[in-house]
Amino acid sequence: MKNITTLLTVFAFILGIGGCTKKVDVKERVLNLAVGSKIKGMDPIYANDRYSSNEVGRVYEGLLEYHYLKRPYTLVPNLAEAMPAVSADGLTYTFKVKKGVYFHDDKAFTDGKGRELVAEDFVYSIKRLADPKLQSLGWWVLDGKIKGLNEWRKKNSALPKVNYDEVVEGVKALDRYTVQFKLSKSFPQFLYSLAMTFTFATAREVVEHYGKEFLNHPVGTGAFVLPEFKQSNKIIYTKNPKFRKKLYPSEASEEFKQKGYLADAGKQLPLVDKVVVHIMVEAQPRWLNFQKGNIDYLGIPKDNFASTITPSKTLTPEQKKKGLILSITPSLDITYMAFNNDSDLFKNIKLRRAMSLAYDVNKSNELFYNGTGLPAQSVVPPGIAGNIKGYVNPYRGTDVAKAKALLVEAGYPEGKGLPAITYDISVSTVARQMGEFFKKQMKEIGINIKVQANPWPELQKKVDTRKVMMYGMAWGADYPDAENFLQLLYGPNKPPGPNGSGFNNEEFNRLYKVASLMQDTPERTALYEKMNRMIAEEMPVIWGLHRQDYVLYQGWLKNYIRSDFETGQVQYLNMDIEKKKALLSKF
Amino acid sequence: MESAQTADFSQNTSKTKVAKSKSLWQHAFSSLLKDKIAVIAFSFVLLYAVVALGAGLGIIASDWTKEIGPSYAAPTFKYILGTDIFGRSVALKAIKGTQVAMLVGLFTAMLSITIGVTLGAIAGYFGGRIDEFIVWFYTTFSSIPYIMLLMTFAFILGKGVTSVCLALGLSSWVSLCRLIRGEVIRHKDREYVHAAAAIGGGDFRKLFLHILPNVFHIVIINFSLTFQMAIKSEVILSYLGIGVQELPSWGRMIDEAKDELARGVWWQLAAAALAMFIIVLAFNLLGDALRDALDPKLKGK
Repeated sequence: MKNITTLLTVFAFILGIGGCTKKVDVKERVLNLAVGSKIKGMDPIYANDRYSSNEVGRVYEGLLEYHYLKRPYTLVPNLAEAMPAVSADGLTYTFKVKKGVYFHDDKAFTDGKGRELVAEDFVYSIKRLADPKLQSLGWWVLDGKIKGLNEWRKKNSALPKVNYDEVVEGVKALDRYTVQFKLSKSFPQFLYSLAMTFTFATAREVVEHYGKEFLNHPVGTGAFVLPEFKQSNKIIYTKNPKFRKKLYPSEASEEFKQKGYLADAGKQLPLVDKVVVHIMVEAQPRWLNFQKGNIDYLGIPKDNFASTITPSKTLTPEQKKKGLILSITPSLDITYMAFNNDSDLFKNIKLRRAMSLAYDVNKSNELFYNGTGLPAQSVVPPGIAGNIKGYVNPYRGTDVAKAKALLVEAGYPEGKGLPAITYDISVSTVARQMGEFFKKQMKEIGINIKVQANPWPELQKKVDTRKVMMYGMAWGADYPDAENFLQLLYGPNKPPGPNGSGFNNEEFNRLYKVASLMQDTPERTALYEKMNRMIAEEMPVIWGLHRQDYVLYQGWLKNYIRSDFETGQVQYLNMDIEKKKALLSKF
Repeated sequence: MESAQTADFSQNTSKTKVAKSKSLWQHAFSSLLKDKIAVIAFSFVLLYAVVALGAGLGIIASDWTKEIGPSYAAPTFKYILGTDIFGRSVALKAIKGTQVAMLVGLFTAMLSITIGVTLGAIAGYFGGRIDEFIVWFYTTFSSIPYIMLLMTFAFILGKGVTSVCLALGLSSWVSLCRLIRGEVIRHKDREYVHAAAAIGGGDFRKLFLHILPNVFHIVIINFSLTFQMAIKSEVILSYLGIGVQELPSWGRMIDEAKDELARGVWWQLAAAALAMFIIVLAFNLLGDALRDALDPKLKGK
């Protein structure tokens, strides 16, 4: 009987697609999101890309988070009771962990009931991040910063089994609800790192129960539950029925207050019952689904820009009629084409500069971003201290004559003597076009580029295992501090760290070490700027753009704000089902 | 009834082999010429072949990478089929795509025929263990989907035209092999083969000089059909991004077009789809006409 019903449902669904009237289930608030890439897995310590870290952030939580309604970005306690007590020397941070927080129910726990979160869970999770056997992709965040952790890592890498029971001085549970971090040196970004998915709380029994399969069995404390993760095109999260008392904020920055973002103030989170994440690699299916109302918010694909946005950067009447809302925000990010600086070929700075000069960033902005991006002069985006206002990089395109001259100086006149350079990109039509554009530009100065498309997880793996010559990538801020961008080029951060370019410059490394210990002062900003300028002209990568996000969202979606730090955002989103019904009838 | 007829036919063949087989081909050729559709189809194939050859030798469309106008210029007299995102001529891309398509088609068809005919003939002629082995081999082999095969080649040789040709060629010979095997089994006990044996013809001679020419019409028809199958497959694979990488291909053009349609740019899709449609249709029509002309069983119908 059950089978027949299922069959009928499937039929109804198929017919429903063809039909023009849509039924909106009024009983359930379902959020529909679209993601443009496959998800690597649901393990916090491997979530080093935006896509997987967003997914991880729906299930797992950390001690801190960004206040949802405050700009500039402000850290607030999440699983911590309050902001930590910090010692006078700024090296010891003591957190009280919230009481009455429970992990999701899972068979890994005794009786299948989620156990209470305790301080020891954070100790375990941090150690897991440092586990030498696991090759975590987020270790760079805490590398060399927590007392005794590097020593623990080193010692255990030689042992057959990693000993988690050994106490590390820098990360200790003082009692059931108190966790204390001792830093080995000043690390002003430490608190930011506790809002990153890498340091989110995992339960030891779950990790040990699932072993290698833990990646597919996320069990956190978050607002949503994912019973099992499969590599499919849909990830369905359901509301955590035992979620602790966590309320929608009642304070907000002025801009959000005025826009009515406080309507849900004081309500228990999460505000929706279900979150469905649709994985759609190609832009047009995403867009068409959004236009049909199947997706709640979406960045506008480049080819739909002209038909959606008027020259004065407002929505076309047709889109307005559907009740769609446009949000334009600069994003703290940078796109770039990286050289593998490990290879002898790209140790040649003149070659790097020549290639940068031959690349027409303005044209690429126009072709792929509808002219909305800001050509990057160096790594730090505008909006955070360290960005140099008005600075123009002398080695930026396009100056083909100068590029050719530099290429002669580099020892490759007209590209002679250069091997074919492979350029790895992720697989999608737009990425391929970008690859082709790059190839075309390099051809102008006689350099032969071979474009290779890879699925996203594979591309990352290729970078991490150094099997690349050049590749295209973007970096979005993990926290609002220039250090997060400068560390991209810090030598010791080479893969599996985030420095995929493998750039290693002694002077830069030295300055970075100094700056990374400094608190936020004008001196530090000056140093950041100095480094930013230095790196700009070193051309460790070809700088691309700082992008601007053009996001459209449906009229029924409430509380949506584009953020650079989307982790955990879904719990604040709400929807107006009646309005959805009304609006959909107009589609 | 049928057996008598064929026996009669083979008798004739064996008696005046050269003259009779020549007249079979002559007959086929003249009936092909009478078939207007076949002639048109064949001239299109020839045209494509000439275009492909010209592009391959660099005589035409060698400067397809050149920017000729603004990006996404609509088709006008100046830009015959409009331009793509980088302002390159869509017409030249389609022509360069013809080269890729024809190359893949030709190579695949040749490879598939070489393997299919050789194995099929050997299996059918020698029978026994050899036959069993070859039948086992092709049934096993045909269970590998060509996409898997392509992935394997792409992994070893890198993605590109070579991998596509090899994968398609190696996965498309099985049906021809089956056909040839069956035909050779039917023919090997015919009188003309016995006659050839009686005057001292060896296995090789009997198989390749006597039997094969009598089953060759199947090969020609198959060539035509494999050719267009390969073109279609190349387009699909390139569309999916696992086919041709560097050169323009109709598949890649359609892939780009699926996003561009959103901004009203239809010419890239139109050019690639039309180019493919014509050649595939031409090959199909030609295949049918060849079958009508060459299959002795259809003679006189």
